[in-house]
Amino acid sequence: MSETVIFSARKIITMNNYQAEASHVAVREGRILGVGALDDVSGWGDYRLDDRFADKVLLPGFVEGHCHLMEGSIWRYHYVGYHGRTGPDGTVHAGLDSIDAVTDKLARIEAEMPDDDTPLVAWGFDPIYFPGRRMDLSDLDKVSSKRHVVVLHSNLHLLNASRSVLAAANITAAVNILGIAKHADGQPTGELQESAAKDMALDAIGLDYDTETSEKCALKNFGRLACQTGVTTATDLHNSLSEEMVGNLVAWTAEDDFRFRILPAFAGYGMPAGQGVARLAELVKLNTDKLRFGLVKLLTDGSIQGLTGRLRWPGYYNGAPNGVWNTGPDQIDAMVQAYHDAGHQIHVHTNGDEASEVVINAIEAALAKTPRRDHRHTLQHCQMADESQYRRMAALGVGVNLFSNHIYYWGDEHRAKTMGPDRAKRANAAATAQRLGVPFAIHSDAPVTPLGPLFTAWCAVNRLTASGYLLGPNERISSAEALRAITLGAAYSMKMDHDIGSIEVGKRADFAVLEEDPMAVAPIDLRDVPVWGTVLGGKVFAAQEGT
Amino acid sequence: MAIPLTVIGGFLGAGKTTLLNHLLAQDTGLRFAVVVNDFGDLAVDGDLLAAHGGDTVTLANGCICCTMGDDLFLALMKLLRRDDPPEHILVEASGVADPRPIADVAVLHPGLTPDAVVVLADAELVEEKAGDQYVGDTIHRQLAAADLVILNKCDLLDDYDQNEVQQWLAEQAPNASIVRARRGEVPAALLLGSGLATERPPKDHDRDHDHNHGHEDAFRSVSLILPAPLAEADFLEAIAALPKSVLRSKGIVRFKERPGRWVFQLVGHRHEITAAEGPASPDRLVFLGTPDMPGEATLRRIVLGIEEEKND
Repeated sequence: MSETVIFSARKIITMNNYQAEASHVAVREGRILGVGALDDVSGWGDYRLDDRFADKVLLPGFVEGHCHLMEGSIWRYHYVGYHGRTGPDGTVHAGLDSIDAVTDKLARIEAEMPDDDTPLVAWGFDPIYFPGRRMDLSDLDKVSSKRHVVVLHSNLHLLNASRSVLAAANITAAVNILGIAKHADGQPTGELQESAAKDMALDAIGLDYDTETSEKCALKNFGRLACQTGVTTATDLHNSLSEEMVGNLVAWTAEDDFRFRILPAFAGYGMPAGQGVARLAELVKLNTDKLRFGLVKLLTDGSIQGLTGRLRWPGYYNGAPNGVWNTGPDQIDAMVQAYHDAGHQIHVHTNGDEASEVVINAIEAALAKTPRRDHRHTLQHCQMADESQYRRMAALGVGVNLFSNHIYYWGDEHRAKTMGPDRAKRANAAATAQRLGVPFAIHSDAPVTPLGPLFTAWCAVNRLTASGYLLGPNERISSAEALRAITLGAAYSMKMDHDIGSIEVGKRADFAVLEEDPMAVAPIDLRDVPVWGTVLGGKVFAAQEGT
Repeated sequence: MAIPLTVIGGFLGAGKTTLLNHLLAQDTGLRFAVVVNDFGDLAVDGDLLAAHGGDTVTLANGCICCTMGDDLFLALMKLLRRDDPPEHILVEASGVADPRPIADVAVLHPGLTPDAVVVLADAELVEEKAGDQYVGDTIHRQLAAADLVILNKCDLLDDYDQNEVQQWLAEQAPNASIVRARRGEVPAALLLGSGLATERPPKDHDRDHDHNHGHEDAFRSVSLILPAPLAEADFLEAIAALPKSVLRSKGIVRFKERPGRWVFQLVGHRHEITAAEGPASPDRLVFLGTPDMPGEATLRRIVLGIEEEKND
């Protein structure tokens, strides 16, 4: 019989109603054997007492219900964001507070690069923090006159390219296509939007997100970041699941030191629903305790800050035309029906409230045709839903995973430009979801914003924008509710709440190990609670020893 | 030589797949590739799909069908990297896509050249769809992007209604020529510019054909031999004055003002002039149009008339 280990802790917050707090948790075979005082959990036979967490606080391992493995692969490039960010190796990359600070850093990096044609790629840049002017070619001229330089924006929809990249991509003043930003005199500024122009620029420097995400270092780096932030289970909420990708996931998640559980969501919009259903049936046979297939991801609109989200009347506050459908309503109806009928759980990207409406309609129709209890179809992001939409979700058993980090990162932008001061107050309305009984989780969409459930919880609790504005105070939730959302709430959203999400007998021994009690700190300090590391299936991973 | 890229847009149900199936069934003499969202109802052999790993099929006539997955750019690059790259590429845009940006890759990539944005409209439903709460604005964007609008399923409407919807379309698609069709039956030349190629007379295709595609009387083509180099400015003026019944034109021209031979291409209201490659051939323009397109004499007068007056 495998060894029984009893961890003692300053406090264990269980998310388990019949025993909300405890001091000891017994673990056997990677699962929780008992929770309570030492006397309550020591009756199962011989045990080893592990008191290394005696001054720490244990919570259920955090569950990130909407992020991407790219959070691991993107670190091969140089971080140049406005906000400081910790890399997988534990290095804290200071925030850069001006365009010059960005180009200074890149110039220093360039000076140390070998004299070859390796491109210099940076990521995390966000022009909204530099309202005076946009980065342009003259800025990147300071980095290098001949090397290809590309600065990816934090939303990954935009980038700035250097002159040499534009030349390689045949982008000149004479080219009149979408996505090429130009100065008043018609010369390209170097900023390229999601378009053929951006594709050509990335092709010129040989950058291919998909391939990079399927490489081993992406998973390793993600594992380190997960450990630093207390995450023990994460989704990769869009994965085309090629044979190669699946093979890699199966092999690497089986390795001993793999330090999180992953649920890759099948990108259902890449192939006809009939084929997708058949593919998923094959994939779920490969499921293990650390790798779980079965989620389906569908896509409706674009992004709100990119003005490509689909909004209901009165549309964008700045008067921009309505956004785009990546998958149209007719196709959404058909895909939702097909995956629903096959018994799968569907996660649908909806940003604008019109996109949410279309998906709610589709699920309502699917349920009318094929009644199904406890389907837990989930609207992902669902940033603008109003109360009537939440009421419909509650009636239909639809859950929501809110993009709470948006409140901080783009809340000011939403007030000023996209939603306007009124609708921005209901952005990512966690309190409404809570009040109306819509099961909810909150997420980071990493790498769009950093992985870090405590920060995400802080956003939902405080609703402060980057400029410090309190956006929709009535939609704030309590720390306890937010902590539930990043554990049991997210586990529920992926139908894993029987297995993870609380510290309870029979569940996986997955813990977030914190230095302080997040319930005891002031809500405004929630994001600053230090994470010591994680326990995954009883195995201890310290963030600081991360290798 | 850059490969022409044609985008086929239009809402779900407008007949894009039917149109492509009709094209695939023809012997165009051109090795073209069709890039689709999914093989779905495309008339390609299921066994072929399996044999080729699922995302690319090469047909007996050398044509290629492939799926774009979730990355059209990659799918196009794969086609360009083939040992036997296709001579023309058609991309079937998704039902809600704005087709114009899809053609943009051909503006930038040296291996591609933009041909036409063709948008299908369901004669019976397009007006209703254009008023739809969720997709109305998408339909308007598609039509505004079109060089050619194929008003499909015309057999479902009487003449009066066909005229009515065509008039409405003309307002929504100000940059496009509009052509009526049923069951997606249009000549390959309308989609590919082939058959308009200068090397062979455009009639060959139809004459050799042993089954009726139903478009012989719905379209006409006219070929003009150009006896001498043209005055470029006058020629461009003449082209701008062509009647709307001219859908496409292609040919080899020479200009008085500059040396060399030039490929002239017109689709809808958009034309392009690029340097000609390949062996010398007589200067010639071929016009493809609706049945009410003027005949050879009139077109000759329009295109060359100014020329002849000045030579007098």
